[in-house]
Formats: sequence, structure tokens, C-alpha cells
Amino acid sequence: MDNIAGKRGRLTWALNIAVFLLVLLWTIPTLGLLVSSFRDADQLQASGWWTSLSPSVQSSAARTGPPATQTSGLDGYVLEGNVFGDASGEVVTFGTTPMMPDAFPAGETAPRNGGGTLVVNADGSYRMTSPTPFEAPDLVTGETAGEPLPDRGLRVFITSTEAPDFTTGNYGTVLNADGMAQSFLNTLTVAIPATIIPILVAAYAAYALAWMSFPGRALLVSAVVGLLVVPLQMSLIPLLQLHNAIGLGRGYIGVWLAHTGFGLPLAIYLLRNYMVGLPKEVIESARVDGATEFEIFRKIILPLSLPALAAFGIFQFLWTWNDLLVAKVFLGNSDTQMVMTGRIVELLGSRGNNWELLTAAAFVSMIVPLIVFFSMQKYFVRGLLAGSVKGG
Amino acid sequence: MPPDQDSRFNWASYHEFADRHDLTGQSVSISGTWTAEDAVTFRRVFEYFEEATGATVNYSGSDSFEQQIIIDTSSGSPPDIGIFPQPGLLRGLAGQGQVTPLPDDTNDWLRANYAAGDSWVDLVNFEGPDGQTRAYGFPYKIDVKSLVFYSPENFAAMGYDVPATMEDLKALTQQIVEDGGTPWCIGLGSGSATGWPATDWVEDLMLRLNPPEVYDQWVSHEIPFDDPHVLAAIEEFGWFAKTDAYVDGGAGGAGWIDHRDSPTGLFSIPPRCFMMHQASFIGSFFPAGTEFGRDVDFFYMPPYASHPELGNPVLGAGTTFAILRDTPVAEAFLAFLRTPIAHEIWMAQTGFLTPFSQANLDTYGDPTLRGMGEILVNADTFRFDASDLMPGAIGAGAFWTGMIDYVAGQSAERAASGIERSWSSLARTGGIEEGAE
Repeated sequence: MDNIAGKRGRLTWALNIAVFLLVLLWTIPTLGLLVSSFRDADQLQASGWWTSLSPSVQSSAARTGPPATQTSGLDGYVLEGNVFGDASGEVVTFGTTPMMPDAFPAGETAPRNGGGTLVVNADGSYRMTSPTPFEAPDLVTGETAGEPLPDRGLRVFITSTEAPDFTTGNYGTVLNADGMAQSFLNTLTVAIPATIIPILVAAYAAYALAWMSFPGRALLVSAVVGLLVVPLQMSLIPLLQLHNAIGLGRGYIGVWLAHTGFGLPLAIYLLRNYMVGLPKEVIESARVDGATEFEIFRKIILPLSLPALAAFGIFQFLWTWNDLLVAKVFLGNSDTQMVMTGRIVELLGSRGNNWELLTAAAFVSMIVPLIVFFSMQKYFVRGLLAGSVKGG
Repeated sequence: MPPDQDSRFNWASYHEFADRHDLTGQSVSISGTWTAEDAVTFRRVFEYFEEATGATVNYSGSDSFEQQIIIDTSSGSPPDIGIFPQPGLLRGLAGQGQVTPLPDDTNDWLRANYAAGDSWVDLVNFEGPDGQTRAYGFPYKIDVKSLVFYSPENFAAMGYDVPATMEDLKALTQQIVEDGGTPWCIGLGSGSATGWPATDWVEDLMLRLNPPEVYDQWVSHEIPFDDPHVLAAIEEFGWFAKTDAYVDGGAGGAGWIDHRDSPTGLFSIPPRCFMMHQASFIGSFFPAGTEFGRDVDFFYMPPYASHPELGNPVLGAGTTFAILRDTPVAEAFLAFLRTPIAHEIWMAQTGFLTPFSQANLDTYGDPTLRGMGEILVNADTFRFDASDLMPGAIGAGAFWTGMIDYVAGQSAERAASGIERSWSSLARTGGIEEGAE
């Protein structure tokens, strides 16, 4: 017995560890996204999020103060200051040419091309000397008719370690983007009716298909199942043509109708299978007691079907909330009509490079679906099983 | 800025336009690819149109314009005006009769007022549904592609000069390697469009090795893709891109480094590269605070000293305006684009180049744009990005992947004949669909 119990214990452990590892694997991308959303755009481009907690070693060019700040001393003309300015860091090595930022360890005196010396200390303070007065840096000019700026300092090349840099600026940019509030309202205006209308229609339809007997019922059910496999992309153009032809054009009514149409097959299928599983006796005794079909539907079926309704509601809400395609086609693209997903795509910049904003925007747009999910979560698990086991 | 305030702008053209058009209360809808900052600057342009005519402009920008416009036209609800990122798509719609031809004097106007005018005329004249060739589009807002970016301070530190000929550029490339540096950043990565920066290289070299007529024959498939003229241009690109020491990341690295990341190589310490061939738009990918003319500068991709007869060809891309629904306001808007003021307002902002010779170069917002604008106005030949003109399956497919294969080690003959095979099989099956990027 002990042996068996021991084995079972090990097995349970193995199972727990496996589940834990899977969950870890599953959440790592989200964690990376979260960390990235707080990182500075330049650091994000330079290194991965997993390096974000350790100080980074990087080579860079710092500038001395402008040539006008030079003093003349015993060893010629001198520029002094700190390569970090007001920030802090630690210089490891430095150099006098862009090709060699690690030619000399911090604190050593390095000769400069064309005479003079340069010292950079570990704390960033530097001293640059020259036998001739300092001038603005040399430039090889191309097509831009740029003049060297007289107040521009010379470059000092350093390799330094810098503390990790986190910012909430990405979230600020996303939340304060022009028209974000309007888009948020637009998305709500699309998503809420587009969730409620199909539930209303599908509940009636599901009841009829589950509990009212009429010729061709089985055929109708299989037609609904068949509609589940029709890709909605196929019907975008014909539907829009229809909307234009009947004078509906583009607008909220069009989007609601489209979302309702695309959501109905799944809704009817899910609800019908759930309702079929409700105890037959309850409905039959209600009939015997003289209840009309509508009363049965309203007083018995609807309250009993709440888990399935909630489950489908979550599905449909998430889908309409995250939708970009249907909104773009049936609502339009202008500033006042744009939904939140559209606005976020626009935030990415004309060429999709501002992806530090994408990470922050992902979390911002997740908030409402999360609220919906957690407030309806207790129905969700029950609802997921809806229709899977008859009578369950 | 109210009219008449800044004397650099051609306000006479504004008033003349305003006097001829009164469209109070009417409106025009415009769709295009410009979003974010581009949409804001375009808004400033059409605000002057609104001010002059009293009409309202409804602009909607979408990054999926190419798909959207197909849905809109085929469902019968197109915008009044479409702004097409490449002419191939417009040609397809014009052939289906979805586009209203522009006035008959458009071609003469382009010839007279745009630098390298004939090139522009060829670009926007398509065959309509009746088989007649007419001008269907109006080019406005151009990108110049024949540019090489570099760091003027690094050049000064290493004692390099801006090369005036392609021979000098090759010598400079070798010089940089001798000095221990890496000459080029060639990032070809671009998500699902990986490979397109290589097509710009090949096209630029094509124009510097061959007369523009050969380029046109190549684009229209009158000569095969593996024609010796084309092979020469591909191999010339290979001279730069297929030598490990010449490219940041080695020849293999070019294939996967993203073109949006590769500019950082110019600014890193030590520099990962000294030069980068890219289009004018790349400025928006430079690190924040980068100053043009000081931190970075560019030169015109030089022509070969051995081909003086080809002059200074310029490769570019740009957007084309077309009328999808004929209304008086839409026509007026296209007429507005012919006024110098419509170009100058955007020139004074950012990200806009024009070959329009009557627009005042002094209105360019910064010396960089002006430098690029001068390249455009001084062009002897202007040719549109070939990959945008070829059928989509080639220009936005086989050409890209072929160049990746080539950089990864395939011979020019094999890569080119592979592209040629796809193109001729496309022609045989009649499956030619017009470009899409």
C-alpha cells in the first residue's frame, strides 16, 4: 500500500510540475510584453526584455562642452566636464576615435590625434587638452547644406555601464493619444449592441429549434451548423453592397447587423445544444399547466440558460471588442468613426515602428475585456461545457 | 498660418484658385495610406483648399488602403478621391472602369511643370475599359530612393570624402575595409516584405548601367528578367552585398537584419557601418534627436564615370491621386494640386518632396528636404520603383525572395532565371494581377 501511495504521490508531483511548467511557458510572452511596455523605446530596440533588469554595458559618444567654454592653462587649451552630464554611470574604458571606444581604461591619459591629451575617469569627469584652440567638430558635408554649429562640443567615445531605465511614458502616450477617448466610446458603441442583439435573437431561435416541433427542424439545425464554417471574409463585399443598395450605407447599424450575422450561427448552435439538455419534465409539466411557449421561454428556459448566455456573451464581446476588420469595412475609417483597434494601429506610426506603444496599448485595450471576463467568470466554466454533455 | 503671411509661398496661385472655385457647402471624401503624422501634415494642406473653396474635406487614412479600396470600389461605395501608394493598383482599377480619367491637358501639364515630365506621364497613363490610354492619376508627394546616408563626423574622423562617381564609391568601400571598418548597412528584413531594399539597390544600379529605355523594357517584361543587362545590375549589387567584409553582419546578416533597425549601425560606437543606401523616408527611423547635416547626412548615389551619357538618373516612389467618383469638388481638388501653393504648404512641413518646378525650393522646412528636393528637380531621368510597377507576384514576391536567395549565396543567373520562370509562367496562365506591396 505504501508503495502505491508513494507512486501516486510522485505521479501527482510530476503532474503538478508539468502543469506549472506549461503555465509558465504560457505566461512568459505576456510577462515579456508587460516588461517591454514599461521600457524606454531606445533600450527596447537595443536589447531584449529579459536583460532589462541588469545594468547594460554600452559604447557611446558623449560630447564635451562647446568650444566657447575652453580655458587656457599651462598645457594648452582645456575642456573639462562630465560625460554623463547630470545623469550618472560608470565609465569602464574610453577612446579618442569612433572605431576604438575601449582603447584606454578609465583614468589613463590618452594622446589625441593632432596633439593634446584626453583623460576620462570612472565617474565620467573628463579633461581634454589641445595645443591649438578647440573648434566645432569637423564635418564632411553632403547634400544637406548644414553648417557646423559653433556651440557643438567634440566627441568623447566611452564604454560605460548604465542602470536599467523604466518608464510609464508609453502608457501616457497611448492614453493621451488624440481621439483615443472617442475611439473608446466608438468601440463600446459597436461592441455592446453587437453582443446583446445576437444573444436576443439566438435565444429565441435556440428555444424554437430545441423545444418546438415543426417540419424541417433538423434540416434547419444542420443548416446553422453548416453556416459555422463560412468564413466571414468571403461575405464582406456582398454584404456591403447590400447595405449600400438598401440605403443603409456605413454606420453603426451596419456594423451591428454584420456582427449579429457573423455571431448568430455559433450563438444558436451553442444555446440550442444547451437548451436541449434541460430536463424535459420541467417543460412538459409547464405545458400541461397551460403555460404558453413564450411563458415557458421567459420563465423557465431563460433563467436556466444563464450560464450558456453568459459564456456566449463573453465570446461575442471579446470578438467584437478586438475586431478591426468588420469595423473598418462597415463603419469606415475617418477620425470620428475609428474604433480602438484602428487607433492603436495608427499609433504604431506610418511604418509600424513604434512598437513600444503596441505593448502598452495591448494592456490598455485588455482592461475592459478583463473586467467583463472576471465579472462573468463564474458562468464561464459552466458555460464552456454547454452542449458538450447532454443533460449535464 | 493665414494666407498672405509668408512671402516665400505663392499666394497669387492661392487667390487665383480661390477666385475660380466656389463650392460652399459641398464636400469631398478622400482615402489614402497616410496615417499619424502624415495625415496631420496632409490635413494642413487641404485646410487651405477648404478655406479657398468653402468645401469640406473628409480624409480617412488606413494602413490597409490597398485592400480597403478594392472592397470599397467593388461594393459601390468608393471615396471621391483615392491616394494610391503605387500605380499598379490604380492601373487595375482604371482597366475595370472604376476611375474617372483626368482632363486631357494633364499630360501636357506634367511635361511642362514636373522635372523629368515624360517619366511622370508614362507613370499615370493607363488603358481604360474602352482600350483608350488616358491620364488617370496625378502624382503628388514623392520619395527619392537614390540616397546614401552617412555620418559626417565619422567621415571627418576617418578622413573620407563624399564620392562623386560609382568608381569612387567602390574605392571608398575598399578603403573603409582596409581601415578596419565595415562600409555598409544593408538591412533587407521587412516582415512579410523581406527583400524589398535589395530591389531598390538593383533598380538604382540598373539606371546607372543602362539607358532608361532598357529599364522600361525590364519593367514591362519586354526583356526577360535574366537578360544580361539585368544580370549586370544584380552582380553589381552583389559586389557590395555579397562580400562579408563589406556588410554589417556579413553577407548572411543582410538577409535578416531589419531595414528599420539597420540605420542604428551608422550611429553606434564603434560604427557598425559607415554608409547605408535607402529612400528618403528612412529619416524617421534614426534615433531620437538625430540632427540632419550634423549627425547624419546623405549623398546622391553617384553615377558611373564610365557611363557619362546616362546623366543623373533618380529612382523614386510616390503617391498618385485619382478620382473614383466624379464630383465638382473632386475635380477642383485635383486642380488645386496643380497650384504651387498646394506643394509649398507641405514642403514647409516635413516628409514631402515634389518635382514641381514652380514650387519655391526655399519653402522646404529643413535643408535636408531641400537637398533631396534638389536631387529630384535636377533629375535627368526619373524612374518609378520597378518592383511597384511589376505584377504583384513578381514585384512583391519573386523579386524579393530571389534577391534574398542571391544574397544568401545563389548565383545571379540562378536567382534571375528563377524570377523569370515565375514571370513567364504567370504570363502563360494569364494570372497577371497588378501589383500590391
